[in-house]
Amino acid sequence: MTPPRLTSSRQPLRLLQDRVATGFITAGGVGVLLAILAIGVFLIWETLPLLAIGESLALAKLSPLAWGTLKAALAALLFAIPVALGAAIYSALFMSARLRARIKPALEMMEAIPGVVVGFIAGLILAPWVERHLASALVLIIWLPLSAGLAGLLWQLVKARLRRRLPPLSWAGLWLIPWLALMVAIALWLAPWMEQLWLGGDLRQLLDQRFGMDYATRNALIVGLAMGFAVIPSIYSLAEDALADVPSTLIEGAQALGASRWQALWKVALAAAGPGIFSAVMIGAGRAVGETMIVLMASGNTALFSASPFEGMRSMAAAIAIELPEASPGGQTYHLLIFAALVLFIFTFLVNTLAEVVRQRLRRRYRQMGGTS
Amino acid sequence: MKAGTVNTASRRPRFNWLNDLWPWLCAASVALSLLMLGALLALLLVRGLGHFWPATLEEVTLRSGDTFAGHAVREVELPQQAGDERLYFTGNQDIEGARWRWVKIEEIAERAQPADLIRLERSPWGDFIGRLVAIEQDDQRWEGDAAWQRLTALLALPASQRQESQLLLTTVDGQTLRQPMASIVSAQAPNAMSWSQKTHVWGDGVWRFLSEGPRAANTDGGVWPAIFGTVLMVILMSVMVTPFGVLAAIYLNEIAHQGRLTRLVRIGVRNLAGVPSIVYGVFGLGVFVYGIGGSLDEWFFSDTLPSPTFGTGGLLWASLTLALLTLPVVIVATEEGLARIPEAQREGAVALGATRLEMLTRIVLPMAAPAMLTGVILAVARAAGEVAPLMLVGVAKLAPQMPIDGEFPYLHLERKFMHLGYHLFDTAFHGEDVQAAIPLVYATALLLVLIVLVLNLTAIFLRHYLGRQRGNEC
Amino acid sequence: MLAPLHSANTAQVPVAHFSSEHSCLSIDHLSLAYAGKEALRDLTLSVPRHRVTAFIGPSGCGKSTLLRAINRLHDLNETVTHSGKITLEGQNIHDPQTNVTELRRRVGMVFQTPNPFPMSIYENVAFGLRLQQRLPKRKRDDIIEWALTSAALWDEVKDRLHRSAWQLSGGQQQRLVIARTLAVQPDVLLLDEPASALDPISTLKIEELIRNLKSELTLVLVTHNMQQAARVSDYTAFLHQGELVEYGPTDQVFTNPRLQHTENYITGRIT
Repeated sequence: MTPPRLTSSRQPLRLLQDRVATGFITAGGVGVLLAILAIGVFLIWETLPLLAIGESLALAKLSPLAWGTLKAALAALLFAIPVALGAAIYSALFMSARLRARIKPALEMMEAIPGVVVGFIAGLILAPWVERHLASALVLIIWLPLSAGLAGLLWQLVKARLRRRLPPLSWAGLWLIPWLALMVAIALWLAPWMEQLWLGGDLRQLLDQRFGMDYATRNALIVGLAMGFAVIPSIYSLAEDALADVPSTLIEGAQALGASRWQALWKVALAAAGPGIFSAVMIGAGRAVGETMIVLMASGNTALFSASPFEGMRSMAAAIAIELPEASPGGQTYHLLIFAALVLFIFTFLVNTLAEVVRQRLRRRYRQMGGTS
Repeated sequence: MKAGTVNTASRRPRFNWLNDLWPWLCAASVALSLLMLGALLALLLVRGLGHFWPATLEEVTLRSGDTFAGHAVREVELPQQAGDERLYFTGNQDIEGARWRWVKIEEIAERAQPADLIRLERSPWGDFIGRLVAIEQDDQRWEGDAAWQRLTALLALPASQRQESQLLLTTVDGQTLRQPMASIVSAQAPNAMSWSQKTHVWGDGVWRFLSEGPRAANTDGGVWPAIFGTVLMVILMSVMVTPFGVLAAIYLNEIAHQGRLTRLVRIGVRNLAGVPSIVYGVFGLGVFVYGIGGSLDEWFFSDTLPSPTFGTGGLLWASLTLALLTLPVVIVATEEGLARIPEAQREGAVALGATRLEMLTRIVLPMAAPAMLTGVILAVARAAGEVAPLMLVGVAKLAPQMPIDGEFPYLHLERKFMHLGYHLFDTAFHGEDVQAAIPLVYATALLLVLIVLVLNLTAIFLRHYLGRQRGNEC
Repeated sequence: MLAPLHSANTAQVPVAHFSSEHSCLSIDHLSLAYAGKEALRDLTLSVPRHRVTAFIGPSGCGKSTLLRAINRLHDLNETVTHSGKITLEGQNIHDPQTNVTELRRRVGMVFQTPNPFPMSIYENVAFGLRLQQRLPKRKRDDIIEWALTSAALWDEVKDRLHRSAWQLSGGQQQRLVIARTLAVQPDVLLLDEPASALDPISTLKIEELIRNLKSELTLVLVTHNMQQAARVSDYTAFLHQGELVEYGPTDQVFTNPRLQHTENYITGRIT
């Protein structure tokens, strides 16, 4: 049973359609890519008039902003890098697989929380609280890592038989939460006492009298905490990927040769994942430099040259957000602010490209090692 | 699961600070991050939703003999002294001149919660807290319980059908005032309410927050125009970003010569996702608003110049800017989806005599659809939470007109609009009475976070579903 | 491993010659390279009509590459360059006049791993038909039934034509792919190790199907399984390192190979 021959009457039409569609997609695709490219071109074009103004003025206007940006980013990274890398090491190397499948998306969800919400909490809730309880806040920063160590110490000291009934280290990420909450409560309860006892009542007064340090409600400390919170997930996510990609045979091999867990991590895992961790930190830095709303809401927006963690700053991004809508197009401020945007653009673009290149090279290296598929 | 516990359990080696404690520090980092995230969400939930719970009204008598009524907001330690002070919301701005009152706790002689204290929401002048004496309408007069019943009966009617009547009110310290019925928005007697009534009032409050416009310079009322503006802007943005993002991804993945240049372009596009959003805002302001918008004004709206039509921030420019901002997200997600489709599927279609277009539209694009959807949802999630670029290209603290109305051409792309994120920023930082606005800011923040989280969870779910489907196929 | 062949050897390759009315497909001095790396070298052979021709050889010998060249699938990859000529029924397939989609309809191809599309069984078979022309539903149903019957699948799937094709077993999927290809009525069917991913029973079914199909069309089978080639093919070509070593009737190649290389390969001394 052979059915009748097919006739292909539609052939020329189909080929034409194909050719037209291919042309359309190519035009559209290239057009979109060019539009994206136009961002850089526009920024450079609008900055050109600045060449006529002379650099001293531009420098005078922009250098406090640049300083503020760096200070804010630095404060954020100081908080975010240890926490994010610690979390990445723990969840890549120690956490139980079941827990990790839940925790990792939860931590990555932190990234989705809008900056304006974080900024609001930091600027209106956290900042006044820290202002009133500066000593407690500082004590907390030291006390939290100590209490984690304390948990470890207690765990080591518990009798081996009892320890088997306790939840293991692979679940510590979860059950340390109530422990830390308890420790925070204890610290908050004790800190006013200690402040009374050792510092004669008020740390802020002491700072002012002894060291001449001013205290602004919205300051680098607040920005660091808030923006650190926002940057942790991006660093964590990439660093965790890099560490989880380290072939487990490498670490096991090192331990089989008699290296301690610490040595295996430090000499093998971190060394192998080093480039990946570097690119994670770079991406975090890019995010910290460009974040606008958190700095705007939590920093007080005073363009100061001050290294004090208790004083505010104004970052380039925040300055653009506040001043550009009021600047008359074509005016000097307008061009200066666009120059600031160009600096941000180039900086983040370079940092991200560097991170991407490093990451790709790392991936190629793992593939050569044949550790991962 | 990595076993790190075995060797210490079997025999006890020498305790080594470095070796045994650093895993705990790392674990604590995870715990700390989760704690912070949980604390943030819990704070928003409790404060954002708690605001709508009818607060118990207190009648406070001070040692000085002064009395006032209100609900306690919070307690703070006194600066430089022992003891705390407490903040009360007292309302009655027209009588007292202020709505808030700080009281030292030690000065309070007595606190009572009489059931007949009521709280009236009025416009203008905000809340009244005190007692209802009577309602007068023409010659009729209701007193006591009857007055309260009459009031609730009147409020249950639509505003247009309420008969004109006068409320006779008295504050706890004895001042009286007459209030026309027309100015009353709602009334409640929280101290006399049962749990179910309170829950009902709470639900009602949440609903009004979502469905009404702001009142009293954004310190009161709801966020409906902001929700509407956000959603409309995001929809317009998706309509623009989806076709272009998908087109660019198809070009990059299916048509472009896979050489060094394409690889560079791909890295570039990926990196644009990391460029600060404010830079896109600058581009939008310079190119869309001043460049294109300015020219449009000169050509088509020259009669209204110098007041700009399109030459100022507006809905169209805002959604275009955000479309550009989220373009890399859509491109990257779609490209990942396209790359995941097995080459065998493409070859199978081509070997049957399909042209490239037929292969794309009938096999590849349907298979990549979940990935595209994921990309668009991620883009929407990012756009919904983004505020900084909007400050440059068209958001308004209080838009006089909605961007959609009955007037031709119905959708007004040039109008400014309200946005949840900017509304939050503005009420929290530029409001006249920040103290009064903070509960609403909490509620707005909660709403924004919920929207963004739900969108992200949808994207995660889609991606997971996609992974499973792929697993079946292999 | 075999030492690289000398050109003197290649010259001696005995090529089965068929008169033009018997030859369906002929390959003439074909060389092909991926990004400059040579994969096929100066290949000449012709495939007889309504017969099964098997290409055998160690992996990497270029047999799949040759198959894909006949379907012009290499067009998808820009780095591939070729010289020489392939003619199908007297028509040069690389001729600018040749419509490549029409060529691919006439030369069906079945791949190593089954690749049904993510749609229903019915839609899978209808896919190629819909591309060609708009048919009334009755006629299309007839053709689909015929194609599935020819692929020995109809009885197994006739009650679930609208279920997803991915729910079928591997062997059924492969027969579905064959049915899909038969539906557009090709003149030649290329099979690239069609049974290598299947269990023995499914393999037998596919082999039986191949033998039955040769009354309808010309089949070219690439396989690394010598027994399979011996069981189903009428002619066998042995390729090694991109060159044709020996080509002739299957019986002759397997029982009485002319060259030592071929015998070594067939008897498993080289892989």
